[in-house]
Amino acid sequence: MTGDALLRVEEVSAGYGRILAFEPLSFTVERGGLVLVLGPNGAGKTTLVKALAGAVALRSGRVLLGDEDLTWVPAHRRVRRGISLVPEGRGTLPGLSVFDNLDLGWHAAARDRRGSRREEFERVLALFPPLRARLAQDSRTLSGGEMQMLAIARALLAKPRVLLLDEPSLGLAPLATARVYEALVRLSAEGLAMVLVEQKAVPLAGVPSTTIVLQTGRVVYRRERARPTEEELADLYLGEGARG
Amino acid sequence: MRRSGRRRVEPLVAAVVAAAVVAVPLSGSGFWLYNLTVVSLYATPVVGLNLLLGLAGQVSFAQTTFMAIGGYGTAILTTRFGVDPWLAMAAAAVLSLAASVVVGLPLLRLRGHYLALATFALALGTTSFAAGATTLTNGTIGISGVPPLALGGLSSASPVVAYAVSWAACGLATVASAVLAGSHVGRAWRALATRQDVAATLGIRVTRYKLLAFAIAALMASVAGSLYVEFTTFVGPDLYDIGTVINLFIMLFVGGRGSVVGPLLGSAVVILGPQLIAGLEQYQNLVFFLLLLALLLLRPAGLLGRIRDPAPLTAILPVWLLRRRLPAR
Repeated sequence: MTGDALLRVEEVSAGYGRILAFEPLSFTVERGGLVLVLGPNGAGKTTLVKALAGAVALRSGRVLLGDEDLTWVPAHRRVRRGISLVPEGRGTLPGLSVFDNLDLGWHAAARDRRGSRREEFERVLALFPPLRARLAQDSRTLSGGEMQMLAIARALLAKPRVLLLDEPSLGLAPLATARVYEALVRLSAEGLAMVLVEQKAVPLAGVPSTTIVLQTGRVVYRRERARPTEEELADLYLGEGARG
Repeated sequence: MRRSGRRRVEPLVAAVVAAAVVAVPLSGSGFWLYNLTVVSLYATPVVGLNLLLGLAGQVSFAQTTFMAIGGYGTAILTTRFGVDPWLAMAAAAVLSLAASVVVGLPLLRLRGHYLALATFALALGTTSFAAGATTLTNGTIGISGVPPLALGGLSSASPVVAYAVSWAACGLATVASAVLAGSHVGRAWRALATRQDVAATLGIRVTRYKLLAFAIAALMASVAGSLYVEFTTFVGPDLYDIGTVINLFIMLFVGGRGSVVGPLLGSAVVILGPQLIAGLEQYQNLVFFLLLLALLLLRPAGLLGRIRDPAPLTAILPVWLLRRRLPAR
């Protein structure tokens, strides 16, 4: 385990009722580091990020941010400590305008870490310029790419130290996915730690610090400073020999 | 930086309503003075219900329970203990707030239909308790002789004073709801109404915000309940029966959930509508029901509403037709 780990996930498992969504899993994320978790539907990826965000109770293990144990800290407090979630399906709030969505993100930040609303809004709007013209618009009327930008912008306004992203490319056109990933690369370069969950290979420049592949809750692949090729991923999901 | 696309029509409707409220006493019409006083007394708990259901998305039938606490609290304190009516109203409001916290803390952890069922049981229990606890409430006979409010040298026994006081309370509730709806609290309510799981990950303490909406709604209902009893000088269990519970919902759905002025408009339609077609005699209820149905088919979100989901109303309209009770003069 590295000494300067920002987020430490130790033997964490979670589930619903009697069903265990994923088996005990450990990893660390450093400042500016990226942990990529891949897996098909039902692998336990969403439950993992929800558990890290505090939205699903842990079955076992500990979650530590810096030196602080967040295992029993509820979701609404975890975000103030610096863990912010971009939920699956974008998680924009229909009926609320883009401004309202962003404002909720700004309020989620701990008071001693957030700047003025105008400054913070400018910061995220510079990262996602298409949102600037849409501030008064109901968030349900945005395009898929804009919704994803909004969900990430809102999470960033909470001033996270660790950003959890649940399938940010889901349902997006390749161009929109590329734009979203471009922003994520910039954020990573600025030192933001991320746990990124995806179903398939992603257009990510650079190599994740850790790549984990889950299959029905079990780790079937794990590499440091490496990630599987698309062929390897197909083998992992479908079993070797599945490809023609 | 622009904020949001609030509907432009609401301020205009608010201005028309305010002008009408000011103009009615000048007209000297007893019919309008009385009926608009009743409209304001029902609109006030509906404003609270709008915060709870229209913004925070919590289906609660408990508004009549807090109206009853306001009404009975005021009646008992004034007639049996000689407490000043203003003080009695304040004491009943504090009691309602306390009751809302005690009841709300466990109930608001329930989601969806469970909360609706639990509060429906509470509403039914309220009427049964009011009718059955004879030593406290005087049972089905109710409590008469509740003293009116004194305001300087004026008394709420005067229809104009009662009108002014009730509209002042209703106006205050409406302005408070507008301020809340536009604030971070309102955004948090709307967030938990749509995605409770996402709201929690945005730092929103879900139960606390639900409880806040529940308590504010209870306060508004309690004050309206007290004023009603002070103006009519009587309280009885029929005031809080299931017909009233349903009426409050109809008023909200007709006016439009999530709209600030909608509760006032909805209350006016439901209170005044049947009276304006009173000439139809035995067909009055049926015609009014058909008009309401047409209105909701044409405008499923209500007159000023933003939420497109008419299902709950279509479910309760037939019940309402059977149980409708208009406030007796």
